Formats: sequence, structure tokens, C-alpha cells
Amino acid sequence: MININSLRFAWQKEPIIHIDALTIQQGQHLFIEGPSGSGKSTLLNLLGGVITPQSGDIEILGQSLNQMSSSQKDAFRANHIGFIFQQFNLIPYLSVLDNITLPCTFSDDRKQKALKRSGSLQKEAMRLLAALGINDKALIQRSVNELSVGQQQRVAAARAMLGSPDIIIADEPTSALDYDHRQAFIRILFEECEKENITLIFVSHDATLKHHFSHHINLQKLNQVNTKEVL
Amino acid sequence: MAILSLAFKSLLNRKLTFFITLFSIAISVALLLGVQTLKTETNSSFMKSISGTDLIIGARGASSQLLLSSVFHIGNTPNTIQYSTYKTISQSPAVEWAVPISMGDSHKGYTVMATDLTFYDHFSFANNKHLTVNKGNIDEDMFAVVIGSEVAKKLNYSIGDQVIVTHGGGEIEGHHHDNIPFFISAILAPSFTAIDQTLIISLEAMEAMHTDNHGHFGVLPGETTIAPSHDHTEHSDNESHDKHEHHDADHEGHDEHEHHNAVHENHDEQEHHDEGHESDDEHEHHNITHENHDEHEHHDADHENHDEHEHHDAAHESHDEHEHHDADHESHDEYEHHDANHESHDNHEDSDADHEAHAHHQDTQDQRVARLLKIKPQEINAIFVGLTSPQAILGMQSYVNNFKQEPLSAIIPAVALQELWQFFSLAEVALNIVTAFVVLVGLLGMLSIILMSLNERRREMAILRSVGARPGHIFGLIIGEAGFVCFTGILLGIALLYLLLFTLQAPLASYYGFYLDINILTPNDLSILIVIQLSALIIAFIPGWLIYKYSLSDGMSIKF
Repeated sequence: MININSLRFAWQKEPIIHIDALTIQQGQHLFIEGPSGSGKSTLLNLLGGVITPQSGDIEILGQSLNQMSSSQKDAFRANHIGFIFQQFNLIPYLSVLDNITLPCTFSDDRKQKALKRSGSLQKEAMRLLAALGINDKALIQRSVNELSVGQQQRVAAARAMLGSPDIIIADEPTSALDYDHRQAFIRILFEECEKENITLIFVSHDATLKHHFSHHINLQKLNQVNTKEVL
Repeated sequence: MAILSLAFKSLLNRKLTFFITLFSIAISVALLLGVQTLKTETNSSFMKSISGTDLIIGARGASSQLLLSSVFHIGNTPNTIQYSTYKTISQSPAVEWAVPISMGDSHKGYTVMATDLTFYDHFSFANNKHLTVNKGNIDEDMFAVVIGSEVAKKLNYSIGDQVIVTHGGGEIEGHHHDNIPFFISAILAPSFTAIDQTLIISLEAMEAMHTDNHGHFGVLPGETTIAPSHDHTEHSDNESHDKHEHHDADHEGHDEHEHHNAVHENHDEQEHHDEGHESDDEHEHHNITHENHDEHEHHDADHENHDEHEHHDAAHESHDEHEHHDADHESHDEYEHHDANHESHDNHEDSDADHEAHAHHQDTQDQRVARLLKIKPQEINAIFVGLTSPQAILGMQSYVNNFKQEPLSAIIPAVALQELWQFFSLAEVALNIVTAFVVLVGLLGMLSIILMSLNERRREMAILRSVGARPGHIFGLIIGEAGFVCFTGILLGIALLYLLLFTLQAPLASYYGFYLDINILTPNDLSILIVIQLSALIIAFIPGWLIYKYSLSDGMSIKF
């Protein structure tokens, strides 16, 4: 469902990404291992259609990103991909509920799916939070600043999952968590992705996590640009 | 819409900077609108200084000088015109009315203007509003003075108070015309024109003050010079009699008597008609004895007030009345005028204040002489003219400008006011520039605050990008924020302006005589506000464009 062909990207004439071929199957849980500076963020931005490669093609769900305008790519991303970041995933001035339902602002598809599932966005947010292990109903109206880091990451995961996107891309989502929370977070994430048949792309420099995943690739090996020089 | 609600929530998250920006814009908007309001209000109060007068005629000279001196009582016109010119002009067929004006004296810094009673009928300001009397009544007496509201308030004057007029503008100690004190007969209601700061006297009194009577008329034999604060008791019977006799001697009383008698035949006839008195006996009696005639006169005048009549010394009264009579009853016209004023005199007696005014006022020697001499104005400074039709204005103006007997110039008040206002336009432009910069500073403050917030908001932008926000959304977020801040700033500024106007209205009127009319915003104000709002949006393009660039380069990568 994701096909990458001879992808090249350079930033200010400095080559950062050169991937000949990469295929990710639907429903696959893929671990991409890469230390800082290996072009991780760049690859994620390319997958999200936020940046455009100089050459090569990315095909997601049978659609080529190259053939889309930038606003089509933004809409495509909003409809099909959920993101979870390392930390500070949430918008500080929005409540927990508003943060979770944020994708609905930009994607009517996901809003309809969420409404179809639970009847209201709030119920769907509650359902997702409960699935991710947060059962405190009062929490949903609170400011996100009052949450612990672990809670924040689960709220971010709920946001990524709302309206059942096809793909979830998680960029170091567990690096701010301690060991126990990390294990629990990954387990819950896996369960939910399996339930919804969501393709999960998990990017981390932490190689110890790769045993959780059925597939893993090393970005440094995949990327033909010698990133060590960049470092 | 969703993006605007995000912008709003984002703003509320930064309350402190938001409110600071809001207030800086509100204050600058209030200042700008305040200046505009002040400008239009000064302009309109300036333009309201005179209305209904078609032409102002004065000696040849600068039109602005004539306007300033005659309407605003600023500066002096050393050039005068002949009173006879006034007579000629007032008889001109196109002229509906003409009021002579004379200036040059002051009282404690306030202008003293001399005119005649028709001034009150014809002078109007704003939209043909006439001067109205607040206290007292306008008295036809030669030495009555009508004072403006501010003069009364600042100098704490009331009806009946005595006023000494000073020669010249009053800034430098001039000659006090203390030989001719005036009594206050009326206080005018505020008009918010120069009249508020003016004392109005009769032309005859003005002439009397400036006639060099000290040389010609010394102290009359048997008379003591009376100080302005003179009291009643000095008037003894004998003294009055003496004066009366001396007066006859000095002024060839015989001729005057005849004239006097002739007039009084008419007078008596009329009054007998009016009041149903019998006549012949008294009439003859009147011809024979002067004193009796005078008493009869007095009786007619004070007809209703028997008590007072009895209390007063008969001789003294008659003496005064006689003089008064001599001064006023020259022609048949004036005689009728006199009759008319007797009616108002009766009205006077209804009011205690006026009654007091008369009772306390005692003529000084010079005043009596002035009354006796029937002093007539010789020179005046300006004539206010109303024409029969507006079409006559230009014709009349050119007639006056080419007046044969003496060089004159006529100005159209509305045009001259407009011209004079041009002088202020430079100050107006300067004020506009300053306030425009104040608004610009307010907007730049907003810009810097938004720019400073950009760095901390790059993460916010990355998150929004990740959930599908387009760069355009991010751009809109910034523009929306600026637009919202500016809009609320403008609303707050308007509220602030009206708060200020309502607070300042009363003190401005009472302390500065400036009436601030509170109106809704003019189309001009609204277009200024629209320009401010648009400028805010345009200025927000700078941070908007920056964040757009950031969002393109950062993508979803969260930069710290």
C-alpha cells in the first residue's frame, strides 16, 4: 500500500534521502530504526506529503503523491494518516477533547467515520481514550497541560486514531516515557491498530523496541546517502 | 471558521500579550477618532460663530481681520467707519437690517462691544439661533450693560452690579472710564460663541466714554463728583434743584423748553388717549410749570408704582426724569421708541432684580452730561447686514466695496470663515500625521508581539500541519489573529472615545466654553477605521508569510 521508488530528496543541495525501493503492506507494523540525522524526519515529511521529493515517487493507497497538488496532499494526509510525535504533541490551548477531535477540523471523512462509529465526537474520543487505558471521564474537558507525559502520549494516540485513518506514523512516541509506560503504550497501540486494520509505521532510534514488530528496517542501510557525514 | 475559532483560542491562551496589544490599538484608535471629533467639532463651532448675517461691512482692510475682530473679538480694528455710512447702508433697498458694531474697550480682559438694541433681534449663530437672556432683561438705558454667560460666571457678576470699562484690550493697564460706570441689566445664556466672553453696551455710551468730556465739562457748580460706588444720600433736594437750574443756564434752557413742550404736547395727547386721563387742565399746567410737567411725566412712567413714587423725593425724581427725557426725546421716532420702552419698563418692575438694578444705579455727572448732550455715535467698527434676498449678496458686496464716501470692504461671513479656517489646515494636517503615526505604532506593536509569538508557535503549526492543516490555514491563523485583535481593539477604542467624550463634555463646556457635540461616527471616521483594519491585515502578512515559510520548511518536524 505504500510504494517508494528511487526517491531522492535534497535540502539546500545537500542530499538527505535516496531510497531506491521500499514497500509497506497494508496492516503491517513496521519499525524503522534510525539514529538522529539519518533522515527520519525527512522521510516522514515525504510520506506525509509535506515536502516534495526532487525525484522519484511515493505511492500511498494506490495514489501517487507526485500527481497531487500540495493542498490535495494536505487533504490526503488529513484523511488517511494519523501522526504521533515524540512529545508536546498537543496544542496547549485546546482541551483534551478539542485536541483529540482536531483532525475533524481538516478532514470531513474522518469526522463522518467517527460519528458513524459512536454517534458523537465526544463519545468516540471517550471510547478511544478508554481503549488506550484512560477511564477518567472528567479528564476530557481538562487542559492538556494538566496531563502527565504518559497521558499526553495516549491522548496523541487517540487523536491519531480518531476516524480510523489508514496509516499511523509514530515518530519516537515513547522516548519521553519510562520503561513500563513504554511497554504499555506500545501494546495498546498495537492492539488498537490491529483492531482497526491500521498500518503502523513506527520510527525510533531505540533498537530495543524492534522485537515488538513483525517487520523492521534500518534507515541507515536503506538510505543510500551517507548520513554519517551529515552528522 | 474552524481556523478562526482556533485563532481565537490561541489568542486567549496568550491573554497578557493579547490584552496589551488590544489596549495599545484601542488607545491609538480612541486618540485618532478623538482628534477627528475635536477637529470637526472645533470646525463646526467655528463655523457656528455667526449665521444669518449676509455681510459684514468694515473699513477697508484684510477680510480676516474684519472677521476676527467683529465675530471673534480678536485683535483690534483701528480703522473705523462713519456712523453716517451706517445710516446710508441701512437705507439701501437690498438691506433688510443692519446692526452697527463698535469695539475697542475691555473689561478685565473681556471685550466690550457697543451696538444697539437691534443686535439682539438680528444677530444669530449656529442655525439661526438668537441670543437669549438668562437673567434680567435687556434694558434700553444708555448705561445698561448686557454680559455674556462666561463673563458673569468668571467674574461672579449678577444683575445690578456696576462695571467699569477700560480703554483698550485690557492686557496692558489702560485708562479706566470710571467716570461712566455701567450697571448690569442682563446676563445672556451661553451661546458658545465669542459673545459669551463679551460685554455689550450701547453705542451712545461708547461714544460718551470716548468723548473728551473731562476738559469740557468740569465739575458743575455746586456739584460734588460722584464716585462709581456713590450712595443715595448725596442727592439732597437742594442739590438737585441747583443742578437743574444750572443746567438750564448752561444749555440755553429756553430753546430746549420750547422744544420740550412741543414734544410733550404730543406726548400728553397720546397718553391721554391710551390711559383715559383728562387733559386740558394738566396740559396747561404743564406748559406753565416745568416741575409739574415733570411730575406728570414721572407719574405716567411709574404709573403702577405708587408706593415708590411717594417714598421718593419729588424734586429729585423730576430732575432725573427731566434729563432723561431731554436725552431721549429728540424726534418723533425716538419718542415712539420711548413709549415702547415704557412698556418694558413696566415689565421690569415685576422683577425684583431689575427693580434693584434701577434703584441702585445713580448716574454720575458725566453720565448725566452724556444724557443731556444726547450724544450720538460718530464712528463704528463694523456693520452686520442682513439682506432681503441671498441673490443680493454679491451685488451688495460690490456696492459696498466701491462705496463713494469712504473706503469700505464687505465680507461674506460663511466665505470668510471658510478662508480663515484654511489657516488652521496646516495644524490639522500636522495633527493628522501625528495621530496616524500613533495608530501605526499601535499596529507595529501588534506586529512585534505576533512575531515574537511565532517561534513558540512553530510547534503548534507543526501539529496542525500533521493533522492536515494546509500552509494557507496556518497563514489564516495569523491573519485571523491580527484581524481579531485589531477589530476588538477598534471596538474598544470606540467605546473608550465615547466614554471620554461623555466625561469631558460637561467640563469642556463649563471651563472652556467649548460645547462638544457628541455624534455618531461620521462616514469619514468609519473609513478611517476600515483603513486601520485593513492595515492590520496587511501588516499581518509579514508574520503570516514567515509562518507560511516555516510551515513549508519545518513540515511536521517539531523544532524546539
